[in-house]
Amino acid sequence: MSAYRHSEQSRPPEARQITEVAIERFDDVFEVDPKLMSVHVVQQVFPNWDTLRIVASRHDHLDWMHSHWAAKVISAQALLDEIDD
Amino acid sequence: MTVAPQLAEPVLDDLRQVLGDEHVLTGKAARFNRARVPAPFPVHRWAERVPDLVVLPGSTEEVSEVVRIANAHRIPIVPRDGGTGLTDGAVPLRRGIVVDVKRMNGILEIDEVNRTCTVGAGINMLKLNEVLAAYGLIYPDDPASYPCSLVGGRIGTSGWSLIGSRYGHSRDLVLSFDFVLPTGKVIHVGDGAGRKLSKSSSGYQLKHLFMGHQGTLGIATEATLKLFPKPEAELSPFFAFPDYDSAYRTVGELARAGVATFAGAVLFDEWKVDYLRRDDEAYIPQPADVRALVCAVAYGYEDEVIAGGRRLMRIAKENGARYLGDEVSEGDWAARHDRYATPLHGRVRSGQVVPMSWHCEDAAINYSELPQVRLEWHEIVRRLRERFDMFDDWGMFTYTSANTGVDYLTEIDVGIWEQRLDDESWAAWVRAKRDIAEVALRYGGSISACHGSCREGEVDLVPQELGGGYDVMLDVKRAIDPNNIMNPGKYGLDRAYEPDGGSGS
Amino acid sequence: MTDTPARHETDDPPRSDGHGSTEEFVEQWSNAAYNCFSSGHKFCREVCPVMQVTRNESWTPTAFHANVVAMEQGELEIADIAEDYVNCTGCGACELRCPNTLFTGDFYRFRTRTVDLVKAVRALAVDNDVHQQGWQRWNLLTDERTHEPVLGDTPVSQEHVRDWSDGLNIPVGGETILFVDCEAAFYRTSVPRAVAQLLQHAGYEFGLMNEQWCCGGPAAEMGYVEQSKRFARHNLEDWRAGGVKRVLVLDPHDYITFTEDYPKYFGDDYDIEIVLVVEVLAEMIRDGRLKPAVPVERTVTYHDPCRLNKRKGVWKEPRQILSAIPGLVFHDVDRVTQWSYCSGGGGGLPIEKPELTARISESRVDKAAELGVDTLVSACPWSERPLSEAGDARQIDVTDIHELLAESLGIEVGGSRGR
Repeated sequence: MSAYRHSEQSRPPEARQITEVAIERFDDVFEVDPKLMSVHVVQQVFPNWDTLRIVASRHDHLDWMHSHWAAKVISAQALLDEIDD
Repeated sequence: MTVAPQLAEPVLDDLRQVLGDEHVLTGKAARFNRARVPAPFPVHRWAERVPDLVVLPGSTEEVSEVVRIANAHRIPIVPRDGGTGLTDGAVPLRRGIVVDVKRMNGILEIDEVNRTCTVGAGINMLKLNEVLAAYGLIYPDDPASYPCSLVGGRIGTSGWSLIGSRYGHSRDLVLSFDFVLPTGKVIHVGDGAGRKLSKSSSGYQLKHLFMGHQGTLGIATEATLKLFPKPEAELSPFFAFPDYDSAYRTVGELARAGVATFAGAVLFDEWKVDYLRRDDEAYIPQPADVRALVCAVAYGYEDEVIAGGRRLMRIAKENGARYLGDEVSEGDWAARHDRYATPLHGRVRSGQVVPMSWHCEDAAINYSELPQVRLEWHEIVRRLRERFDMFDDWGMFTYTSANTGVDYLTEIDVGIWEQRLDDESWAAWVRAKRDIAEVALRYGGSISACHGSCREGEVDLVPQELGGGYDVMLDVKRAIDPNNIMNPGKYGLDRAYEPDGGSGS
Repeated sequence: MTDTPARHETDDPPRSDGHGSTEEFVEQWSNAAYNCFSSGHKFCREVCPVMQVTRNESWTPTAFHANVVAMEQGELEIADIAEDYVNCTGCGACELRCPNTLFTGDFYRFRTRTVDLVKAVRALAVDNDVHQQGWQRWNLLTDERTHEPVLGDTPVSQEHVRDWSDGLNIPVGGETILFVDCEAAFYRTSVPRAVAQLLQHAGYEFGLMNEQWCCGGPAAEMGYVEQSKRFARHNLEDWRAGGVKRVLVLDPHDYITFTEDYPKYFGDDYDIEIVLVVEVLAEMIRDGRLKPAVPVERTVTYHDPCRLNKRKGVWKEPRQILSAIPGLVFHDVDRVTQWSYCSGGGGGLPIEKPELTARISESRVDKAAELGVDTLVSACPWSERPLSEAGDARQIDVTDIHELLAESLGIEVGGSRGR
């Protein structure tokens, strides 16, 4: 992350409704519709950097898990394209 | 809470002498935290399962000494490895001493010539594989709990592996192990006079007996494992279907194809898809006509994975599968350990998010019976949720257990809002578990392919499943554990000690 | 079923005003505790540095959450558990590796917060007069001297906090100031000297703080929240009085304090920009303001400081810097593997349990030794003392990334590497 400014971190981008239960604030990052977390479990204060840190870490972790099991991943799409040809 | 009378100072002194003071834990928090496994249980009854004492041995000899002392004083022993099991194997039902083997996590030998390694029972598979990777080797025992479960627990539960269709399950992968019997005697279990045979025909085959007993027969301390070359390539396509039937047909054909690199096929039903739409980034944007999913997995050398992969892709295509793309496929497979037990998946009927415990009722079922079992199981959970809002149907999947498509681990995942679990809802859950097990048996299956069957509810039906074999279980238990100190109260084995128990002899 | 919405643990900082009640604490943390307790996963366990060396399940993140549930059930009290919570370095591996963070934390805006929980339990203990002797003494001395007693019997004090910069002609004050943590200011002075000279080399203008106190982060980590807030208030007021707009930070621990604790303490009033030096330097290399040219003939690996890699996701820039230094042979270990690495130097652990810190740093240095390197490079002054001690036994030199970069720019760093 680059320079921390509280005002930039404390307000998330505007939400776009994706499904009845999910919204999107950052590109390709879905979030629960906050109305579903209004009774029993309340959402946490969540600075923007933290959302982006988690998303990036998830992708890094998934890459790591692939290479933990095998040297490379075969593209099923490429196999499908061969069959289609 | 007071310490049991058998655990008075002389016994504690003996244990401290054997283990050192710092490895004998009497504190409350230490004991409460070893009463817990992931399977839900009413929180207000937690104290019922708290042991008197926890010991952390560092060697087979120390385990043996602890067991010998316990046996002499008739103190119950509960072996604890990862404590990630779903059938309460590591939960003390009669207090006593929890023998927590996590300190025994050394790698004692890596034999590159015979492709084996020998490890302490407290080692985790992921950590082991981080070391083996430097040798180009892998120990492919891959449960959902792969990042945290331990080799010893895999022995005690006879674990099931996600890629078992290719590499076998724990019972195939563990060649042999040192084992402390309930008297403290140490034996080596496995074929041959050494440690490293995969097959012999000499004498009784004891390995299966001493795996999957849920800690009722003793404690594994060191194991020799079969190793494979670390795979060069991985393939894991995910496919979408508009209905269950076509997905079911496809998964059957994929599993029966006989592709050598085939490591498993999975089917997710429409309840599971609905559940994934709640919070899984891959499924939130999927169109409404996606109602079932199938995944196939292959591991091996690149050329063989590609060759076998072409065949699998052709089968899927001919069955009308829609490929979900490389990104979803690869991401979902790599996330296979992480997508299970997220409490916030839980929803009450109003749709509000609540933290629910994940409980999966599993069974081993033949391919031909899967559709009927599925419908009956969902109906059981539907009735349960109708009465109690703390239960939530998280859908079902079925997963190949072998490389011929003969049988499947099938599982219904039920979210349980543990905070609200009271005596009435718990009783209803136990009844539901029994009903679920009864369906499995009615269709010729086993109560469990994976987790074991010694929890309240399904455990009542184990004698029915095993028939005369259950009587042999009683005889074996009594012969090996004359004082019933080893994990007492599990699998109904107490009846082996009743005056007319163990009628099989 | 209807409920009043639960209060949330991140709504307020811990009170630590001497009145913290267990009921209030449990209410605040209940959902978070169940979110762990009711999860089958214990993926935290094998990445936890304490667990990896002790194998004691009582000291796992899972146990730390389960204890809250047991407190709610009336089975445990703070006095039963306070000592267990010493066994945490605050590295953040557990909460990141937790699927409730890594896979759904962003989705629900509700993630596992073990580090905050450990801090909250420690604060609850202090509020209830349950003290750990070493921590109590440490924070008392810190309070007296306005800096942590990092030199043991040699006192630290306000008048010496800028001694590290002797001869560098750094002005006091200005819009941009460099904040130097206690360990670097008094013990490993080569680090701030390297940082200051690198910035000067690149023509970057900055000054030193007028009256710098300890950031207050360590006090909060050990449960002395009131003290932490007092120190934070002093520093913020000092910055404001001097017209400071931007604070440069070389220490990952300070970075956490300024970007996580201070915002909680001061809310929307907190308008100071916080800049991590290692990111600035990486940028200066990218845009050519810094051109490392002097070959450094070493075979190195990089230690990802926990508070950068795990807790902030900062791991690329240090690697960019190392890759730019000529002569280096760099055996990198990826950032995900390093989620389970730690020096053992954080969270107050070395104060209460130095032997446990030593075991953790030995385990970390062993992993470096397997790579056949002669140097372990870190970017965190607090990790460098324990790692150096472990490195001595294995002939591995522990160097700070800023020291190494300065060397490659021909800068004679000076100062002390602590020994």
